[in-house]
Amino acid sequence: MAEERRGAWFGFGFCGFGQALGSGRGRQVHSPEPLRAPGAGLDVCRVSASWSYTAFVTRGGGQVELSGFTVGAAGGCRDAWASEELLVVLRTGPGPGAGTELQAWAPGSALRGEPLWAQTVPEAEREDGPGGDETQAGPLPLLPCARAYVSPRPPFYRPLAPTLRARRLELGAEHALLLDAAGQVFSWGGGRHGQLGHGTLEAEPEPRLLQALQGLTMAEVAAGGWHSLCVSEAGDIYIWGWNESGQLALPTKSLAEDGKTTAEASGLNEDGSEVKRVAGGEDGAPAPFIAVQPFPALLDLPLGSDAVKASCGSRHTAVVTRTGELYTWGWGEKPQGPVERMAKQLISL
Amino acid sequence: MAGPDALWEALWALLPRTKEELKLELGEKVEGSVVMLLQEAAELFYGDKRQECLQTCEALLDYSWEKLNTGPWQHVDKDWRRVFSFSCLLKAVCLCAPPGDAASVAAALKACDMGLLMGAAILGDILLKVTAVLQKHLPSGKRPAPDPSQEPLGIKKARNDHVPIPDVTSERTVPRLHCPSLQYFREHFLDPGRPVILEGVADHWPCMRKWSLEYIQEIAGCRTVPVEVGSRYTDEEWSQTLMTVDEFISKYVRNEPKDIGYLAQHQLFDQIPELKQDISIPDYCCLGSGEEEEITINAWFGPQGTISPLHQDPQQNFLAQVGAAQNIGLPPPPGPATRGLAALCTFKH
Repeated sequence: MAEERRGAWFGFGFCGFGQALGSGRGRQVHSPEPLRAPGAGLDVCRVSASWSYTAFVTRGGGQVELSGFTVGAAGGCRDAWASEELLVVLRTGPGPGAGTELQAWAPGSALRGEPLWAQTVPEAEREDGPGGDETQAGPLPLLPCARAYVSPRPPFYRPLAPTLRARRLELGAEHALLLDAAGQVFSWGGGRHGQLGHGTLEAEPEPRLLQALQGLTMAEVAAGGWHSLCVSEAGDIYIWGWNESGQLALPTKSLAEDGKTTAEASGLNEDGSEVKRVAGGEDGAPAPFIAVQPFPALLDLPLGSDAVKASCGSRHTAVVTRTGELYTWGWGEKPQGPVERMAKQLISL
Repeated sequence: MAGPDALWEALWALLPRTKEELKLELGEKVEGSVVMLLQEAAELFYGDKRQECLQTCEALLDYSWEKLNTGPWQHVDKDWRRVFSFSCLLKAVCLCAPPGDAASVAAALKACDMGLLMGAAILGDILLKVTAVLQKHLPSGKRPAPDPSQEPLGIKKARNDHVPIPDVTSERTVPRLHCPSLQYFREHFLDPGRPVILEGVADHWPCMRKWSLEYIQEIAGCRTVPVEVGSRYTDEEWSQTLMTVDEFISKYVRNEPKDIGYLAQHQLFDQIPELKQDISIPDYCCLGSGEEEEITINAWFGPQGTISPLHQDPQQNFLAQVGAAQNIGLPPPPGPATRGLAALCTFKH
């Protein structure tokens, strides 16, 4: 995996469990605040946020710190993935050649005692030559060898066909998204809200290629509870799935009934000033609301910006542009006032 | 009109005295973080910290709502539905703290209805009791202003001249019988699985003389119910939504509605026990092989032109029709699994 560019971590959202987002005061953080990661001065390289706790992974010592409902720390970890049902860590063995161990812990255990389940996993096969790093499979829940991924529900260890050449994998509440080495996107699992993107509401038992994206090369994928998106190498956003909270930035029924006819994407410039633009709708005429988008739709960001990174909460979406702006939309963007909740992933600005 | 304090006292009379008694026994499926939040909500509630309690309830509602929406409904663990109901209860009561107003009582009623629609029974059906209290305390001014073009009192007559009545030959019509004995019904229709129309069985049900649009609105106008919008559930444009009974009647029943709205297959009588008093369970129902608790009563309420596509029910059915005529098509015997359908018909004009 390519080294993450060092930067500052910011957090916002629901912190009723004291997840140490921002200042730590109050139950909700409405605007990004510098992250108060436990252990001042630790160099955080990865953050995985669940609803009631957050896991921080640091460089160097490979420490995993837990903050929120469960508090604890452990060393020797190179990756962590937090969910309410399960905390998954990837630990390097004690000596050279000792292999990598995948461990699944009950979140409440705070990494003390024994994991619920552990398994040695093969390392990735490194390719020699330039760009060797990029071909390594991405963070959890995808395993480094790309032969399997971790699920918060049993069976925890789920093999992937080697022919898939998985590079990134993201899990929603009922579905999975996979980005392969060639930039193609696959999806499988439950599809009741169109989150698989194949144009139907049917479930898919096995990874199925998204035909609608044929010919496009994707660089990122992200999965929310019941929606999905991917970002192309050119910086275009394709989004699909459930729109009940406006997480697709398409007009929603509740917004239509409140008298607002279009969805708004609001964002922050680098200096922190707010940008509000209106997306969708034409000439102010009421746009028909869209509850479910069963196949990918192209989403334009305000100012025609290119996206580079994307992340989803259960019912909202966040995107970072090439020029460093952060845009968010979806649940919480109600006319009564922007309240961002359940930020599932924190983004490096 | 009783003031907000009277309402508050009436609600508190329904609740346990101490926070220790206001608790749910929950299984393993509910994570420790949620259990902690439930305890916190109860503490805030009894500590008179209404605003903080409301915030905690919202977090609980948001999280449990996601559990209710993950996977097929029949697989949703009942404990999550109970968490949802519990949060609805506390939210509803907090909203009614003095000084209350009509809007908060209506919001509290909506919260109770959400708990009744999606949750599961808790604390001795407390939500039903709370709803009854709330309805008594709704200020009379809260009722929606009657539409000036409203029809005069009385039942909207069916415009039979516009509805084509299928021509059916006598050999293929369903037989009609007047109050057959239980044994005769079982031998000739239940056991062989043959459809029959039973006359005279529902004649004396109070609904036959009491039910009108005005009556329904009086009893249940402000209650939130699920409505299907669209001609039939196999159409692309079909969707489900929630609205009050008043809204449903004014938008989809009266005043020449332009869209089809159907309150379909909803256990209305469990949600609104006052309406259940107007109907009876026919004695023939006790002939079924299941337990009495397994009898479910669903309601269908809609304007002319509503259609349910051909389908098969897993249970035996009695259909009682109040109001205008309905056409029912049945596949001919000995078709696959033709369960009997008994219709109790009393046409009211």
